[in-house]
Amino acid sequence: MYLLRLALASLANRRFTAFLTAFAIALSVCLLLAVERVRTEARASFASTISGTDLIVGARSGSVNLLLYSVFRIGNATNNIRWESYEHYARDKRVKWAIPISLGDSHRGYRVMGTNSSYFEHYQYGRKQNLQLAEGRAFASDPFEVVLGAEVAQALHYKLGDKLVLAHGVAAISLVKHDDKPFTVVGVLQRTGTPVDRTLHISLGGMEAIHIDWHNGVPARGAGRISAEQARNLDLTPKAITAVLLGLNNKISTFSLQREINEYRNEPLLAILPGVALQELWSLMGTAEQALFVVSLFVVLTGLIGMLTAILTSLNERRREMAILRSVGARPWHIAGLLVLEALALAVVGIAAGLGLLYLGIAIAQGYVQANYGLFLPLAWPSAHEWSLLAIILGAALLMGSVPAWRAYRQSLADGLSIHL
Amino acid sequence: MRLVMPRVLLSIMLLVATPLWAAEPRTLEWPQLIPAGAPIVQPQTAPLHDLSQLSDALAAESAPAAHQQVPNAPVVKALDGQQVKLPGYIVPLEVSEEGRTTEFLLVPYYGACIHVPPPPSNQIVHIVSEMGVRVEDLYQPYWIEGRMQVKNTSSELADAGYQMEAEKIYAYELE
Repeated sequence: MYLLRLALASLANRRFTAFLTAFAIALSVCLLLAVERVRTEARASFASTISGTDLIVGARSGSVNLLLYSVFRIGNATNNIRWESYEHYARDKRVKWAIPISLGDSHRGYRVMGTNSSYFEHYQYGRKQNLQLAEGRAFASDPFEVVLGAEVAQALHYKLGDKLVLAHGVAAISLVKHDDKPFTVVGVLQRTGTPVDRTLHISLGGMEAIHIDWHNGVPARGAGRISAEQARNLDLTPKAITAVLLGLNNKISTFSLQREINEYRNEPLLAILPGVALQELWSLMGTAEQALFVVSLFVVLTGLIGMLTAILTSLNERRREMAILRSVGARPWHIAGLLVLEALALAVVGIAAGLGLLYLGIAIAQGYVQANYGLFLPLAWPSAHEWSLLAIILGAALLMGSVPAWRAYRQSLADGLSIHL
Repeated sequence: MRLVMPRVLLSIMLLVATPLWAAEPRTLEWPQLIPAGAPIVQPQTAPLHDLSQLSDALAAESAPAAHQQVPNAPVVKALDGQQVKLPGYIVPLEVSEEGRTTEFLLVPYYGACIHVPPPPSNQIVHIVSEMGVRVEDLYQPYWIEGRMQVKNTSSELADAGYQMEAEKIYAYELE
C-alpha cells in the first residue's frame, strides 16, 4: 500500500507529464470503444429493422442493393416494377401477405414511402414486433393523408392535422415541390429505432396523385395541371411500384417461390431472402470494420508506447530519487514495484478518463447521430466484450510498465548508492 | 510621374468595371427556362419503368422456368418426434439484434445452385432456435440436433415438410 502511495506521490510531482500521458491513453481508449460501439450498434440496428419478411421483390439489380433501398432507404431504386406483377404474386396461394412499397420522394430530407394498409398490419421489426400508432390513425381512402415516423414528427414538430408539402427527389433542400397538393398528418407511429422513424408514409394513391400531371419530367403548366380536387376523382391505382415485401404461409416454399419470381416471364424481377442479403452485407462491411478496429488498436498501442517512453526517459532524472529510496532501506524489487505501479496508475486513470470521454461524447452526439444517421447509441454500461478489451489494455500497460521496472531493478543493483552527482 | 500613371489607369479601369460589378444577377426559377409559348403536352398515361417488353422479347428464346420439381414431396412420417442430428447449410431467415440467426432453413447444399431447380420440399428443414447461432460464413456447414416434426400434406397450400426446434448447433468439420 505504501508503495502505491509513494508511486502516486512521485507521479504528482511530475503531474504535467503524467497528465499528458494519461490523456493520450484516454483518447486512444475512447477511440477504440467508440469504434466498437458504433460497430455493434450499427449491426444491431440493421438486424432489428426487418423481421418476419420472407422475400423482398424488386427490379432486377443486386441483392444487397435491393435490401438497402427497399428497407433501409439507402440509395435509390434502379427501376420500378409493374403493378400487375405485384397483383400476380399477392394473389399467389403460397403468399400470406404482400406489402407494396413505392419510393422516390422526400420531405425535408426524410424519405416518403407510398404503401397500403397491409404495411401497418404486417410489417414487423425487432423481435417480430408490429408497428404501433402513437396517436391518430393509419391513412384511409383520401389520397392526401400522411402517417409520420416518430423521428419526423419530433424533429419537424408536426401535430395531427398539420399540412405539409412533399418534395420531388430525395435531397434535404428541395427546389421542386409538389406544393399544389398538400398532405394532412393523420397519424404518428411509435418509435421503433429503425428507418421507419424517419419515413413519411402515404398511400399508393397519394403517391400516384402527386405525380399524375408530371409525366414529362417537369411539373405541368397551364391546362396540363391537375388539381388536388381533380386528382381525388381520378383512378389512382399505381402503374408501377418500387418493391414488394412478402410473407409466406410456409417457409419451406421460400426457395421455390424465390426461383419462380426470379424467372417470372412477364417482367425481370429479383426476389431476395432478407436474412441472406443481410449476411452478405455484413461480410461486405466486415472488411471495413476490421480495418477500423485494427487502426484503433494501433492508436491504443501508440498511447501505451508514449507512456513507456515517458517513464523510461524519467528513469535517468530519477536516479537520485531511487538512490534516496535505496538509502532508506528500499530493496531493488521495491523500486521495480514502484515503477510497475506507476504504469498501472497511469493506465487506470487513462482508461477511466477514456470511458468518461466516451460517455461525454455519446451524451453530446446522441441526438445528432440519431437524427442524421438513424443510429441510436445507448448510454449503457460497457458490454462484456468492451470490458475484456479494457482488461487487455490494462494487461498491456502492465507488461509495458515492467520494462522500465526491470531496468530500474538492474540499475538500482548496479548504481546503488555509488552514484556520482 | 511613373508612379501616378498606373494608379490613374487602375482607377479608370475600376470606373469602367463598376457598373458590371454592381449589376445584380437575375434570379431565375426553373419554369422560366421554358418559353411562354411552348406547347403544353397532355399527360401521357403509359406506365413509366416498364421493362415487361424486354422479357416478352426474350420469352421466345428462353427455356421454361426451373420449377421446384416436387413442391409437395412426400415426407417420412416415421421421423416425426424423433431426436435427430442432421448436417447442412444455414440459410438465415430471422436475425436477432445481437446478430444471431434464430430462424433458418437447413439445406443439403448451398450456393451455385442456380443451374438446377431448387431442392424439393423434403430436402429443406425449417429450424427455429431459441438461442440462435452466429453465422459468420454462409458456406460453413453445421450439425443441428433436435426433435424432428413432420407435417403431412394437408391441403394444396404446400405446407408439408420438416420442422425442427434446434437444441444444439455446432460447426461441421471434416474429420
